[in-house]
Amino acid sequence: MDWSRLFGKIPASQHPSFWLEYLEQNRHPQGKNTPLEEVCFVVFDTETTGLNPRIDRILSIGAVRVKGEQIDLNRSFEHILQQTDIPINREAIGIHGIMPGESRTGKEEVEALADFVSFIGNSILVGHHLHFDVSILNEALRRHKAGKLKNPAIDTRQLAVRLEKGLVPSDHKPGQYSLDALCQRYQITTSDRHTAAGDAYITAILLLKLLSRLKKRGVKTLGQLLR
Amino acid sequence: MENTIATRIADFLKEYPPFSLLDRAVLDQLANRALVQYMEAGQAVFREGEQPPKQIYIVRQGAINLFKGSNETGQWIDSCDEGDVFGLRPLLADEPYALTAIAAEESLLYAIPIAGLEKSFLEHPKVSYYLLTNFAAGMSSRYSLVKKGRFFQERTPIPGEPFELVEIQSIDRSKEPITCPPDMPIREAAGIMSQKNVGSIILVNADNHPLGIATDKDFRRKVVTGKHNIDEPISNIMSSPVLTIRPDVTIADVQIRMIKHRVHHLCVTEDGTTNSRALGVISEHDLLVLQGNNPANLLREVRISQKSGELRAIREKAESLLRSYILQEVAINYITAVISEINDAIIVRALELSQARLAEQQLAPPEVPFCWLALGSEGRSEQLLRTDQDNALVFADVPKKKYAEVKAWYLKLAEYTTQVLNEVGFEYCPAKMMASNPKWCLSLSEWKQQFSSWIQTPDPKSVMLSTIFFDYRPVFGEKWLAEELTAHIFSQVDRHALFLSLLAKNALQSPPPLSFFRGIMLERSGEHKDEFDIKKRAMMPLTDAARTLVLANKVAKVNNTFRRFDRLAELEPKNAELFQQAADAYEILIRFRTLEGLKNKDSGRFFKPENLSKMERLMLRNCFEPISQLQTLLTTRFQLNFIR
Repeated sequence: MDWSRLFGKIPASQHPSFWLEYLEQNRHPQGKNTPLEEVCFVVFDTETTGLNPRIDRILSIGAVRVKGEQIDLNRSFEHILQQTDIPINREAIGIHGIMPGESRTGKEEVEALADFVSFIGNSILVGHHLHFDVSILNEALRRHKAGKLKNPAIDTRQLAVRLEKGLVPSDHKPGQYSLDALCQRYQITTSDRHTAAGDAYITAILLLKLLSRLKKRGVKTLGQLLR
Repeated sequence: MENTIATRIADFLKEYPPFSLLDRAVLDQLANRALVQYMEAGQAVFREGEQPPKQIYIVRQGAINLFKGSNETGQWIDSCDEGDVFGLRPLLADEPYALTAIAAEESLLYAIPIAGLEKSFLEHPKVSYYLLTNFAAGMSSRYSLVKKGRFFQERTPIPGEPFELVEIQSIDRSKEPITCPPDMPIREAAGIMSQKNVGSIILVNADNHPLGIATDKDFRRKVVTGKHNIDEPISNIMSSPVLTIRPDVTIADVQIRMIKHRVHHLCVTEDGTTNSRALGVISEHDLLVLQGNNPANLLREVRISQKSGELRAIREKAESLLRSYILQEVAINYITAVISEINDAIIVRALELSQARLAEQQLAPPEVPFCWLALGSEGRSEQLLRTDQDNALVFADVPKKKYAEVKAWYLKLAEYTTQVLNEVGFEYCPAKMMASNPKWCLSLSEWKQQFSSWIQTPDPKSVMLSTIFFDYRPVFGEKWLAEELTAHIFSQVDRHALFLSLLAKNALQSPPPLSFFRGIMLERSGEHKDEFDIKKRAMMPLTDAARTLVLANKVAKVNNTFRRFDRLAELEPKNAELFQQAADAYEILIRFRTLEGLKNKDSGRFFKPENLSKMERLMLRNCFEPISQLQTLLTTRFQLNFIR
């Protein structure tokens, strides 16, 4: 029986140490008045066994840091996770290309999570459709007796809609805001789609391009960006 | 764990010099620390006078303009496109930026911090040579790092004879300096030297400034003789101060210093004094090795060689010289001059050896002057790689009864000579366009007749032959024979206008190599299906056009395709721009073909465009531009619409 699911919140006393460190870092979030050039972002993506955060597992996490219009590759993040007791989803393997064997040699989930939360610290999380990535990470964190991610998050998809359609979005065609469609629209070379690190990198470039356009619309601070 | 993104960046970097010169491991190291920088149009990467961070930039996407002055109102200097490196010079010279870099459009840059990697990058022998030859040495008047729109950068022209360059070639610092502190025991220093297999060790202080040098000779004279104990500090046997020299020196500089000071080693330091870091050592031996591969030396070797095998070895050395020139992006007119000079010397030597062989067989030479003609690409002095040999022989007219005997002798000479050339690596011409073929070993009047018949009654075959024979160039023997033939040809061409029209029409045979959608035209069938035939599709149309126009203008003795275009530009100022473009395009194509040939160890004629980088494809396409314009010009000038 998974008691945590029944009772909800895990008491702080049971939190693993990596989580306590992470919480400590997030006691001081980045200020609303921080100019965009000084905001620390972490752009990330996960590859998973499927699309249900409750059942499916994370196969890999890729993340890059963005600050001041630069992507710092010296400090990027790329882990393949060890997932042994999971059903093989042939369709998903076709997309992310992570073979079951490769997954067996990966990092233990808890270690990868610990590395990841320490990597993100109090950065602003960015992803494409990141609601899903955040939920599946939260599920995984819960399995290891940690809480939910605290970082403010920005979905590049919503950012693009906001840029192109305004703050009150009107209708748009399905697929019009997929990562592929946006890459094409914003002229981003997509050589490494469907690896977590590759998608994170592409999303990071998209973020830079969107931010530069939003800046021209008067979005200058983190607070304005997050509203 | 492999870093996917860094791998892709390394893949990108390896396409462009100087990164293309680096080992994969170093590339990965550079890529791993890269910063991907986004620039919106109009944004400055850096401005004049700013202190450079320890990083260099390469354009991943977009374009960066370089200006003199602190903003874009200054003088425009250069524009960097995909793959161009900039912001390098201040690192080499340790000065503030001399230019302002502004994004011309939305751009992505890789900024690569190189602090800590000076050893593997800036001091990498090939890279430093590349950087010195391209960006530093003798370039004080040039601000730009990479020339606009050109894949290959030309070096500043060297005045005077091409071979003067030999003496001013920058030196290749091939050795990492082996250093030790002055208090190291002699025994340990000797251990390092034998482990690294070097003949000298530089003693340096804590800042890596050279204090002195200890060489094999010091060990022989001072240690082995018992004067010094092996446990004494190495400084007891060093020569000090060590003679130092700047990194951008030439062979001549080094030679002069060594002779003047009677030393065998020089230490290269950052600023050429003992108060800067030691970068390397140049020994007398290094100099010898370097010089062994210089053109003047190769020519000397050719002149004294006795066998075709020796000639072959020399030609192979020339090939490695060619490779290093191509990699250093030395100007193509210099490269073709040097390599043709060597090819000519080999032909001359082949003829001399064959004459000697005939003499041994007691076959006395006829007292009839002759001239050996190089045809085709060698005739145009454009043969960089060893392709088929095309040649012919002309001898002075002789009385009828002597003719058979004289011709037999020259045929024999040609047979031996072409055999030597074949052994050197210039394969027999499959179409037998060689002096050993009785059809192409003729007396002067016979040749005149031959050309007359080609010119007077042109048919497709004679036009095809004339494209090869009209590019003849005397290489050995009596040049007046060739000159008389040329005079005859001009007078004939003048009287038979139709010939030029047919020659022009022939030049239009290969359409410009671009499809309607600006795709590169590939071979549709045959052994080279789906490959691009750079000779037939791109180079021959230019060569043919140049030949036709030069003949029409009666320009003699200019055989090089790009020189022909240069000359045409002088003669026809209103078309000067087009001819200049064509000359540039041809140079690029030669370089391209040579690169491909060196890469694939073949003639470089066929390759698959998909194996080219985007930049290379773009460049290739730009080379095609003048082809269609030239063909239009030929069509109008020779009224080809009427004779189709």
